[in-house]
Amino acid sequence: MTAGNAKFFKEFWQGFSKILACGALAVLLPSVALACALPPSVILILPTGHYIAAAALTVALTAVLAALSGRMPQMQAHTLWETRRILPEALTSYLAFLIFLGLVLTGFLGPRDPMHNLMTLVFWTGVWIAVPLASAVFGNLWRWINPWTGPVRVARLLLGRRGGIGLSRLGHWPAIGFYLCFIWFQMISLSPDDPAVLAQAALVYWLAIFALAVAEGEDWLQKGEFLTVLFGFVSRIAPFWVETEGARSRQRAGWPGAQVLRMPPLDLSAMVFIALALAALTFEGLSETFFWQGLIGQNPLEPVGRSAVVWQNSAGLLATFALTLAALWAGMRLGARLSGGAFRADRVMLSFLAIASGYHAAHYLVMLLTAGQYTLAALNDPFFTGDSWLGLPPFYVSFGFLTDARVMPLLYGTQFAVILGAHLLAVVLSFRLAGPVRALAHLPLTVLMVGYTVLGLWLLSTARVG
Amino acid sequence: MTTTSLFTPSRRRVLQGMGAGLATAALPGHVWGQAAPLKIGFQLHRTGIGAAYGRWYERTTTAAAAAINAAGGIAGRQVEILYEDDATDPKRGAEVVEKLAGPSGCDLIMGTLFSHVVMGAAPRAGELKIPYLVCSEGYHVASGALNRWVLQPGITDVRAQISTMAPWVASTLGKKVTMVFPDYAFGHDHRDFFTTAIAAQGGEVIAQIAIPPTETSFTRYFPQIPAETEVLYHVMVGPAVLTFVKELGEFYGTGAKPALFGFIDSLEAVDTASPGLEFLEGSHFWEGHCRAKPADAGEAETAYRAAVGVDDNGASVSDAKDVSTYAHMFSCWETLYFIKQAVEASGYAGPADRQKLVEAMEAVTDLPEGAERPQGPMRFDGKKHQAFGVQNISKMEGGKLVRVHQTTIEEGLYDNDTDYTAMSF
Repeated sequence: MTAGNAKFFKEFWQGFSKILACGALAVLLPSVALACALPPSVILILPTGHYIAAAALTVALTAVLAALSGRMPQMQAHTLWETRRILPEALTSYLAFLIFLGLVLTGFLGPRDPMHNLMTLVFWTGVWIAVPLASAVFGNLWRWINPWTGPVRVARLLLGRRGGIGLSRLGHWPAIGFYLCFIWFQMISLSPDDPAVLAQAALVYWLAIFALAVAEGEDWLQKGEFLTVLFGFVSRIAPFWVETEGARSRQRAGWPGAQVLRMPPLDLSAMVFIALALAALTFEGLSETFFWQGLIGQNPLEPVGRSAVVWQNSAGLLATFALTLAALWAGMRLGARLSGGAFRADRVMLSFLAIASGYHAAHYLVMLLTAGQYTLAALNDPFFTGDSWLGLPPFYVSFGFLTDARVMPLLYGTQFAVILGAHLLAVVLSFRLAGPVRALAHLPLTVLMVGYTVLGLWLLSTARVG
Repeated sequence: MTTTSLFTPSRRRVLQGMGAGLATAALPGHVWGQAAPLKIGFQLHRTGIGAAYGRWYERTTTAAAAAINAAGGIAGRQVEILYEDDATDPKRGAEVVEKLAGPSGCDLIMGTLFSHVVMGAAPRAGELKIPYLVCSEGYHVASGALNRWVLQPGITDVRAQISTMAPWVASTLGKKVTMVFPDYAFGHDHRDFFTTAIAAQGGEVIAQIAIPPTETSFTRYFPQIPAETEVLYHVMVGPAVLTFVKELGEFYGTGAKPALFGFIDSLEAVDTASPGLEFLEGSHFWEGHCRAKPADAGEAETAYRAAVGVDDNGASVSDAKDVSTYAHMFSCWETLYFIKQAVEASGYAGPADRQKLVEAMEAVTDLPEGAERPQGPMRFDGKKHQAFGVQNISKMEGGKLVRVHQTTIEEGLYDNDTDYTAMSF
């Protein structure tokens, strides 16, 4: 870096970091304050097998009770308050776009150490973990910070462009393609944390989506852009959400899942997208286990690294996706056959949103608590000169909680509760959404959900690499 | 004991630890407006299996650079450390070497820890003719398997570490040894070097129990331990270590048991007072550098801990639970000071002088204890490109490791045919 661009970079950052910090801090602080984590070493000596069996039994019994009683929670939604919309989404989106550009610049010009570069930190801990986590509680936050909506609207206005090129007819398939590429980049490619590599990938993706959305219209983002689709789905589980109508904005509240019950049926591509989300999370957990490392011939105590297992993990990812699709398809078909035809697979699939959201939260909790600290440190003092732009005292990034045997069971308990809660909710939703079918028709999906409970908890409690 | 939480550490203590110039080491040299900085590329295991070590290697190196810069730098030039993540991957490692040697314009590269990454990246350093100083403790350098540009001046290699344990184990704990080790290169080094070394002391390894690396329960292996075993030598690593200790405790119960001897690699970055480790009370461990500050520690040890931000128990000053990789990370500190010594001795001015710099490194012999070497004195063997230092044996007392013995440098020396000085550049 030359003296000139270093100076520019520093000045640029002083403004940029403060803007970014406000949002990121709000998202990260509550989680970091929990400060506990889950090293497998301690979890391995807990009787996790008993916990997993108890969870599986609980999910199964819930289904049995639901089938016997026939009475399910109504999950009504309530309006908490109603106001005028303060900030138009196009404006906040445009601001998010500017921040995105700042991050890309940081990725190219900032520190090479990924844990000191806000491109890597903000994307992987903020956008990829904190935003969906917060969205699963407070509703779709992505709609405010989607970096395409505003620029696409402006571009279409300037170009005088109306109508589209027919992309919407493709349903969610483009998003599935982009999501698959992203998963491969995240889990299998050699350097997803490298700031410059990540910045380049993000910029290329942004440009591609921007071009397509300008051609087709900003509404296409809801179907074709995978982050928008994924975070939109995750936010449907939230007990709090905002509904807008014209200039009015209503803050709504209801049981988790209340929104899901009011969603329209899914088309095939949306169902496949949800299956992909489940498969991606499953494979990400699986690929770290000693079981998988042994299967692909790696020594889990000293794995060679990503470069040695690109093909094995690519095949594993695709196989997991195929197995997930096959299991869901078989469960739905069997359910339909047992129901005599009234089974609504296109609605029942919505219940798996709860599982995907719950597993996303449980799976990434530790990463949020570790990498999240680097994010805070970098926002607080981007140049490591002792600055305190967020007002935080200087602090060392600290992973002591990873070996604290007193708090570890608490964290595992949190993950356990999230996974179990998500599956119980999924069972309830599937009973509500399947339509008026006889109890036996629920059996295949209930078996699938019990299996997924066991798998999810096992992935979090078995020996893992790293 | 006073503890501080993540967000309320004492500002003074943290700042003390970080040092006023802590990260100015990472800033571009023009900040000082003086001679161009000496750029040292650090191949960091920031992500991947080595990340737990990487975090502390970075912290130690940053502290060392700050200390050197505060004292005037190296040959009057400030030191700039450029950290580049290799994801603990040999292919990435080679790419990182290319990047640091090329676009980043580094004068030399240091810091690699994991052996397989060293083996993957070192050949590229040789091709690019850039000094590559590893902090790995592997025998790969001294074995002669690498090239003229690769040196390990900051930490004793594992062959010497293991061999120096044998005299004390044989004379103090017993001569009939059963070894339990993970069944891959790391465990095999222990198996081979210790078996030879204990035989030289009149002892004998009466059983070698190799545990598959994917194993997470060990109870079924314990009956293989011969009843006449006097010393159980264990070097299990990975997430199942706690399970290993727990199950070993259950196997022996409160009855008679052999003396236990292990390597701290099993519990590096883990609080030895953790619940579940009680069975290790009274057992002994090798430590490269004692995590609990010895009672007779000198000023250098105190200053080193303060600079890195580590307390007297080897934990972070901001979190008593955050135990450092203390037995290994001094290698970064000492490697940086070795670089300083060699750069100043060689009159190194830029990349054109790299060969001269390596020759100056090879000429180094004695590395006395002091602020530059808080772990203790070392001797550098220019032919092997390897440093040899004192080793420590500590006893677990009340959940704390207390040093009971220190080996001499001479005990760790060995002969082999390696002579890098006879190799061409």
